[in-house]
Amino acid sequence: MVAMSVLRAAAAFAARLSPLKSGNTAANLLSRTIPRADKVAVRWGHGKNVFVIQPSNFYDSRFLRLLRFYILLTGIPMAVIVTCVNLFIGEAELAEIPEDYIPEYWEYYKHPISRWIARTFYDSPVKDYEKMMAAIHIEKEKADMRLAQQEVRRHMRQKGDGPWFHVETINKELIDNSPKSSPDH
Amino acid sequence: MPSDYDKEAYPEPPRQTPVVDKKTILPNPALIVSKLFYYSVDLPVSTFRDIVDSIRAKNRPVYYHQKFRRVPDLTECQEGDYVCYYEAEMQWRRDFKVDQEIVKMVQERMGACHQREGHSYEQNCVREIQLFNETTKNFLSRYGDLGAYGSGRKCLMKQKERMMAAQALNA
Repeated sequence: MVAMSVLRAAAAFAARLSPLKSGNTAANLLSRTIPRADKVAVRWGHGKNVFVIQPSNFYDSRFLRLLRFYILLTGIPMAVIVTCVNLFIGEAELAEIPEDYIPEYWEYYKHPISRWIARTFYDSPVKDYEKMMAAIHIEKEKADMRLAQQEVRRHMRQKGDGPWFHVETINKELIDNSPKSSPDH
Repeated sequence: MPSDYDKEAYPEPPRQTPVVDKKTILPNPALIVSKLFYYSVDLPVSTFRDIVDSIRAKNRPVYYHQKFRRVPDLTECQEGDYVCYYEAEMQWRRDFKVDQEIVKMVQERMGACHQREGHSYEQNCVREIQLFNETTKNFLSRYGDLGAYGSGRKCLMKQKERMMAAQALNA
């Protein structure tokens, strides 16, 4: 009897917590069973399967979406720029070099974007050529000087009359010649 | 429009279209198809090109062929003059590129002749084929087995070997 009243109190409490849930009335509280997930009723109707169970496509589609976004982020501006350059500026025409005119080094390219790259980022090939020749000249002078130095060293060591390869000798003034001034002393 | 190709180097074959001798009243389907193609494809494309050219004509850049001065060869350099060696080497490399392009052009002409003549190319393009054979033989004898690190010096040595072989053959 006491249990019945406790149960009734519990049912009333559960009903107070969530009154709209259908399993919470006093009649169902005692007799309701725990639903089991693997034994859900699957009704094989006579139509086709409208809810097809598949693995998730979310990760694949997210990857492709992000790939498209990051490629097009710079791809579209670049495509627009290249199209505008080709439409409005256009490729260069070949012409003879006029008299008394030395073309700039970027005027030897056809496409305007190649010309711009050569003008903005690259040095003139003449400058590179001259730099290389200057480097070679400096190295040649260094090599020549080293050979000359070796030759001079060899000569001075042999002859001994040059400023290198000195052996310090004592002062001639300090020599005491008095024992030699008289024979048989 | 850009300048057309050299018509003497690549001559067009003689036209073989027969004289039109219409015997029926029915319309010629080939004519209908060609007119259709003209109005639907050729005309829009040509007008687009003309529009774009008129926009482009205002600020049209110009480009030139770079002309390099001739410098003393490797044979005219003093021994030990490395700057002269460098300039001769660069000149040799430019000449190598020019020779490669010459061979490519001769090959292209022979190919065009072959394409034009069809099955009778052996007899009709004799001059082109002979020019091609001569050019490739000369190119190989001069630049043939120099290898990936070929330089003007190695080419000169190869020439020396050729001259020695020719002298040995004559003697």
